Order: sequence, then structure tokens, then C-alpha cells
Amino acid sequence: MLEMKVYTSAIKNLALLVVFGWASVAMAQDAAKASTNMPPIDKFLMADRDAEIALARSAAPESVSRDADVLVLGSHGFETAVKGKNGFVCIVGRSWTSAADADFMDSKVRVPMCVNAAAARSYLLRITKITELALAGRTLAQLNEAMAAAVAKKELPLMEPGSMCYMMGKQGFGGDSAPHWPAHLMFFFSDTDLAAWGANQPGSPIVGIADPAEHLTQFVIPTQQWSDGTEVSASPTHVHQ
Amino acid sequence: MRFVIITVCIVLGWAFVATAQDATTPDPKMATVDHYLMPDRDAEIALARSAAPESISRDATILILGRQGYETAVQGQNGFVCMVGRAWGAAFDWDEFWNPKVRAADCLNPQAARSMLPIFYLRARMVMAGRSKAEIVSALKAAFEKKQLPELESGAMDYMMSKSSYLTDQGAHNMPHLMFYTRVNDGKDWGSGEAGSPVMSSPYWFFSPKEQPKMSGLPPILVFLVGVADWSDGTPAGQHSE
Repeated sequence: MLEMKVYTSAIKNLALLVVFGWASVAMAQDAAKASTNMPPIDKFLMADRDAEIALARSAAPESVSRDADVLVLGSHGFETAVKGKNGFVCIVGRSWTSAADADFMDSKVRVPMCVNAAAARSYLLRITKITELALAGRTLAQLNEAMAAAVAKKELPLMEPGSMCYMMGKQGFGGDSAPHWPAHLMFFFSDTDLAAWGANQPGSPIVGIADPAEHLTQFVIPTQQWSDGTEVSASPTHVHQ
Repeated sequence: MRFVIITVCIVLGWAFVATAQDATTPDPKMATVDHYLMPDRDAEIALARSAAPESISRDATILILGRQGYETAVQGQNGFVCMVGRAWGAAFDWDEFWNPKVRAADCLNPQAARSMLPIFYLRARMVMAGRSKAEIVSALKAAFEKKQLPELESGAMDYMMSKSSYLTDQGAHNMPHLMFYTRVNDGKDWGSGEAGSPVMSSPYWFFSPKEQPKMSGLPPILVFLVGVADWSDGTPAGQHSE
């Protein structure tokens, strides 16, 4: 069974994928399959900066993302490529933040997200820190340990009230375990009881993910349209990068 | 059509017909109390429960509206509270505020039950006692000033996924959705109302910016709404086929 360490975004969790009824998921996928040797950093980078900016923006409707900050991944971490003005920040998440643990070293993972201002001041700091650690060559275990320690020492803030993000991009790749994310919104809290939102209950549209080590609770709510306005269908069609 | 329903629902608390004032006939006066009551207690309990999937509502506390206000019909155990909202539970400047047909099934999560429900109780008590909007607003302000009403809790939200609700006279009258009660100052902080965004929002107390002076003494509450695909019984809403 896949490990369920969830740093972030989307849907690094089998339960989640099952709830979405989506996944061609690799129920039997062996976590041991995860690569322990990190590919060259260049493999994680997108050579076409404009393409990365466009992919990042695709996480949210154009009305939201056109005025957002956009970060692109450099060899040492995320860098500001476009300065926005509405408080949102769009990025393309990589494997260490946006894929199942089994796909930790999958350099093909590209998951766009646009976080709002509250999340940019709290949640995004975790994404950027994880990314820096991963690019520095840390293993998954080392990375988990470092993040838990940083949260415990309050080097990383609690989730700010009202933190949320858009993940409505039709394009992207979530790794072999869960190649395609459904369009969804995410809401971030610190140590919130999943049951208090009715998450993961039969019939509930809310999927909840708890990460006690990081005191992070994430709620996922599917949307009925992609960011480009097209309807989400039962069988999503995506374009891989 | 979809836009109308969404704007309608947001109001709400349960009806946020904000921008669609054109199609309705306002209900300028309160109907008689009997028109807001449901004669069949079991039907009201069932409607209240239908706001959320059975996995959530079966263990919820259920409120029903009586002549003195909301009262507990079933004591639950999971912290959720389900009830059938009436039009006068919505924003004070909604033009359907006194519409006796509105039946808005609503299951509040524990955070909302602790922080929003006391407001609902007070409003219902005063309406059933025949008080005016101005008197209700005044009573709410006084209660907040005396700290008799709690502050809004982070994570307060509710389910409004009943297929049997009647939210407004407008459009298809209903739409499954989730609502989030927040202290967020500006709906744009969640991308609300932007073209293509699935998020809508409305102030809880008054929709119209012109009415904001009346809010003095009331804590700002911004309500966000996100539509969902299915009704609480699992059937698809098919809202895009209208």
C-alpha cells in the first residue's frame, strides 16, 4: 500500500483517489517501487519557462490566475517569474509535493495549483521548503523528518484562516500512482478533525487528509468544471506534459 | 439558469438572490406564523436530515421550528445539527425575506453549530414572536454587544444538498451546495465571483453595499458557496442541463 504522507496538494492519498472514484490507481502499487536515486535536477525543470508559467496559471480560471504571482522552478527552488497583484500565487508542483510517495522521484510530475493570499503566507511556505530540501538531494524520510521538525519549532507557520487553493487545471501529470487529478478546490487548516467537515463519509463530496506530523489538515472539494470552463466528465481527458 | 440558482443559493444562508432582483415579487410583509410551520413533524425531521448524506445526518441533532422558535426534536451525537431554514434566516435585505414557501434543509458542522446556531435561534424566536426586521437586527446587535452571541469559529460550514429544499421562487428553486462561514473580508480572496470560478460569496447580514451602515455592531461574516455535483441521496443534480 502506498504510504500516505501527504505534504500537500492534491491527492496523495489512496482513500482520496478511491473517493473520487478516479483512479486507475495502483492499489497494489508497491511503495518500494519508489526510486531512491534522484534523477538529475534538470529532469525536474521545465526548459520552456513560458510553458511552465502557462501550466501554473491553468490551475485556476483565467480571471483569477491572470493577475496572480507565478513561480517557476529553478535549480535551487521556486523563483518569481511574474509579479501579480491579486494575492494569488500559481506554481507547478513537482513529485515531492504533489504525487504519491511511491512517485517521490518521478521527474515527470507536473501539478498546477494557484493558492490564495492566505495560503501563500502559510501553506505555500511548506511547498517551497519541501522543494528546496528535495532539490538539495534529501530522501523522502529525511524530508519528512525535516518538515516535521520545522513545524514543531514553529519555523513554519500554522495554516492561516481562509487558506485555500484552486487545482482545476486539465493538464498536468500526477505520477503513475494517480496520473490525473480531478478538478478541485482545497482548503487548509491546522489540526482540524476530519469528521467535523463530514469528510470521507459515504456520499460526502468532501475528502479530508490529515497529516499529524505537520499538523496539517486538507479538505478537497471537486468542482464540476475545469479552469477553462469545460465540464468535468466521468472519464477525464488530460494532456500529459 | 445556473448563475441564477447559484446567486440564489448563496444568499442563504440559504438564499442569495443578490443580483437577480428582476424576476421576483417581493414579499414585503411577514406571513402569519402558521405559514412558516410544517404541520408534519416527521416530515420536517426528514427534510432537515436530507441536507447531508445519510452517513452524516443520521447521527446529527435535529431541530424543528415551533411557535417559540427552533426546538430540539432529536438529540444527536456527531456534533452536526440539521434543520429546515426559513427565508427570514437569510440576509435582511433579501427580497424574499418573508417568503413562506422557503424550506432550506441545512446541516451545520460542529463549528457552525456552536457559532452560527445561536444567531439562528435568536432570529427564529423573534420572528415567531412577530418582531420586525429592525427589531431583530437591534436585538442581534445588543446580544453581540453583551457577548451573548459567540464569535464565528474557524472551519464553520454546512451541507445544503437536499433534493427537496425550496430555496427561492427563482429558477429551479434549488441546487446542492456547501457553504462556508468566514471572517474573510473580501470574496475576491477566494476568487469568488470571478468568471469561471466555482466559488460564490455574499455577506451574511445584508447583501447590498448600500445597507452596510446597518451592519454596525454586527460582526462581519462572509459566506462562501461551492456547488457540488450530487444531491445528498447520491443522485446527480444535473444542474447544467437546465
